[in-house]
Amino acid sequence: MADLGNILLFFLFPVSVFTALTALAAGITKRRGLLEAARRGAYAAFAVTTLAVLALEYLLVTSDFSIEYVASNTNFALPLFYKIVALWAGHNGSLLLWTWIVTIFSAIVAYQHRHKNNDLMPYVLFVMATTMVFFSILSVFISNPFQTLYQDFGNTLQEFTARDGHGLNPLLQHPAMVIHPPVLFIGYVGSVVPFAFAIAALITGKLGSGWIHTTRRWALTTWGFLAVGIILGGKWAYVELGWGGYWAWDPVENASLLPWLTSTAYLHSVMIQERKGMLKIWNMALVISTYLLAIFGTFLTRSGIVSSVHAFANSGLGPAFAVFLSMGIIFSLSLLIYRRKDLKPDEEMESLVSRESGFLFNNLLFLLATIAVLWGTMFPVISELFTGDQITVGPPWFNNIMIPIGLALLLLTGAGPLLAWRHTSVETLKRSFGWPTLGSIIFIAILFAFGIRDGWALGSFAISFFVMWTIVVEFVKGANIRKKNSGENFFLAMYMLSRKNTRRYGGYLIHAAMVVMFVGFTGNAFNTETRAEVGEGDSFQLGPYTFKALTIIDEQNDNYSSQTLEMEMYRDNRLIDTISPQKRFYFASEQPSTEVDIYSTIREDIYAVLSGMNNDGTKVIVQVYRNPFVSMVWIGAFIMGIGTLFAMLPNLRESKAGGE
Amino acid sequence: MNSKKMKFVIGSLVIIVAVIVLAIQGMKEDTTMSYSKSVSEVKMLGSRAYAMTLKVNGDLKKGSIVRNNLDLDFVITEGNSELSIHYIGKDPIPDTFNNDMDAEVIVSGKLQQDGVFNAERIQAKCASKYEADYSSPEI
Repeated sequence: MADLGNILLFFLFPVSVFTALTALAAGITKRRGLLEAARRGAYAAFAVTTLAVLALEYLLVTSDFSIEYVASNTNFALPLFYKIVALWAGHNGSLLLWTWIVTIFSAIVAYQHRHKNNDLMPYVLFVMATTMVFFSILSVFISNPFQTLYQDFGNTLQEFTARDGHGLNPLLQHPAMVIHPPVLFIGYVGSVVPFAFAIAALITGKLGSGWIHTTRRWALTTWGFLAVGIILGGKWAYVELGWGGYWAWDPVENASLLPWLTSTAYLHSVMIQERKGMLKIWNMALVISTYLLAIFGTFLTRSGIVSSVHAFANSGLGPAFAVFLSMGIIFSLSLLIYRRKDLKPDEEMESLVSRESGFLFNNLLFLLATIAVLWGTMFPVISELFTGDQITVGPPWFNNIMIPIGLALLLLTGAGPLLAWRHTSVETLKRSFGWPTLGSIIFIAILFAFGIRDGWALGSFAISFFVMWTIVVEFVKGANIRKKNSGENFFLAMYMLSRKNTRRYGGYLIHAAMVVMFVGFTGNAFNTETRAEVGEGDSFQLGPYTFKALTIIDEQNDNYSSQTLEMEMYRDNRLIDTISPQKRFYFASEQPSTEVDIYSTIREDIYAVLSGMNNDGTKVIVQVYRNPFVSMVWIGAFIMGIGTLFAMLPNLRESKAGGE
Repeated sequence: MNSKKMKFVIGSLVIIVAVIVLAIQGMKEDTTMSYSKSVSEVKMLGSRAYAMTLKVNGDLKKGSIVRNNLDLDFVITEGNSELSIHYIGKDPIPDTFNNDMDAEVIVSGKLQQDGVFNAERIQAKCASKYEADYSSPEI
């Protein structure tokens, strides 16, 4: 089966080279037959990669420990479910998953456009197949998941079969971690589709809005998957890593944020191009950057150039990625420069206080955020280049710069949609902003009276209040107008209104989700924690809560042994819940793992970690965090997912005239 | 350049300058920036080391971990150089960190005048756990 998998995977290389070349030839000669051949090539690439993935799954599920990847990432006692998902637990397997998703998307695009866009498609397939060629080189020649296991016997390397595998890294044995990589990868890889169409538009000179309309759903889907993937990663870090937080500005986290930032900027600025014919070069640049940053993110995770707790060890892929990235940058930049005259704006900006201007500043802020995150992430490399010292900038640096940018963006989220296109008069400004502004000021005053003194937090809550207000007003006002015209009841009117312009109201829903998430982020300003050493019967305090240690339990099963501290949590002498943080030791991987226990409400999370045994073994050390509003982050993410799906629904058309 | 364009340019410049100021102001040697060094490199820094926040990587000396109530002390090594670490951080220490293991450790914090390193953060990497190290082959 391993040989079969190897052969299948090997076939991907010639197949993708064939697809890329025939697609290029089809573009140059404009012959239908060649395009058809390239399309078949894309299907074939998908077929062989799918079979290779199935072969690897077979080896994983049947625990064939003569294969290095299987032996390093699974063991006999591992539950079947985790054996299956071990496909993306390690470096080589997850690279195969990446490659597989590229071939899936290429096949889908080839199929979707089998009867249309015949002018763009040769180059679209060319770009996607070139990406495939690159990843097939990595998968086949550098990081092959079908590699057999070798052991050094004396002086000779010999193939052998391990008695049992090393097991899956315990940190990865969590549901969020199971879906986080595929979701994130779909987000990463999805960026290749808008990129391929943008490049095709640049090559063919068909720079109208055709490529934008064609890729709108792809761009939105990619964006949504990226967002959900990033948040799942945060959720996993929160429940699994046991340090009480979900985001630490770690290089790998930043790597996933970068393409999301440029992709968010694109989703906004593209509206200006559609409406006003402006920012054409800029939109091209954003689509190109998103793709290159996605590749860069993969490179950062796997090359080991910046050290990160998450990163795979140095895998020898660095040089290959560096070459591919530089080629991508040079190729796209040259095309942009070549076509710069055809990308001139149709109109010019008129007023500083207008919808266009709102979008413009939104984009500037997203761009600056991208540069800041990139700069901070790469600072160890940059500083070593110039000073010889490897200097890391910590989370405070990122927060110092990203909190103001984030709040400014949040403010624009509320203000932007209220501004009129072209120019907004002072009268309109007063009418739209008067009440929400007054409301936010009163809201701050109330919070201040309740004892909140943190400046950033007050600012964030005020802006959140303002934005939420404006969003609710948009829905209510629209629904009322429709209700008057159509006679529907209020809620039906609101639903119909949204369904008739899903992109706009889906967008508002996503904005509302961002507000909810920002409230969650702001909760960080009020985190408190305590550490205590407790034996049975001891108690300690955190804020209004009293914790009483009941027992320390030792248990064991096939997979791991564990130690659990059972505590009762009281507030005002009333029992709230029992909290049982646990520490596990996995036999196969010989790794301990911390299982936190979280008591979660909308208001706050009580997060308990068993951090260790005392020397004499009778007492344990327990760490308890009180984190306000964390659940708002997950709730916000959920709303964001709904909003994204809603924005993808086709607009409802009505037979009678009315509405927009 | 017309006055409309001018307004945009000025507005954008204000934002860009503000972000650059934040970026520079955020770079503080003693709090937000840390220098990555190995154990022997720290020894070579001499008294310069006291002013910097350092990220020191080395191997955990087996059996050197001493816990005393909430205190935690250990030693990291690189070749013949040793560095005594006193943990003053609040976060729970990582799972891979214990006396029996070959762990590569990264500690972040400051070197004190007495030569003991006060660590605020400990990161442990499992040195060889997932590399090829299969001791019981089936023959």
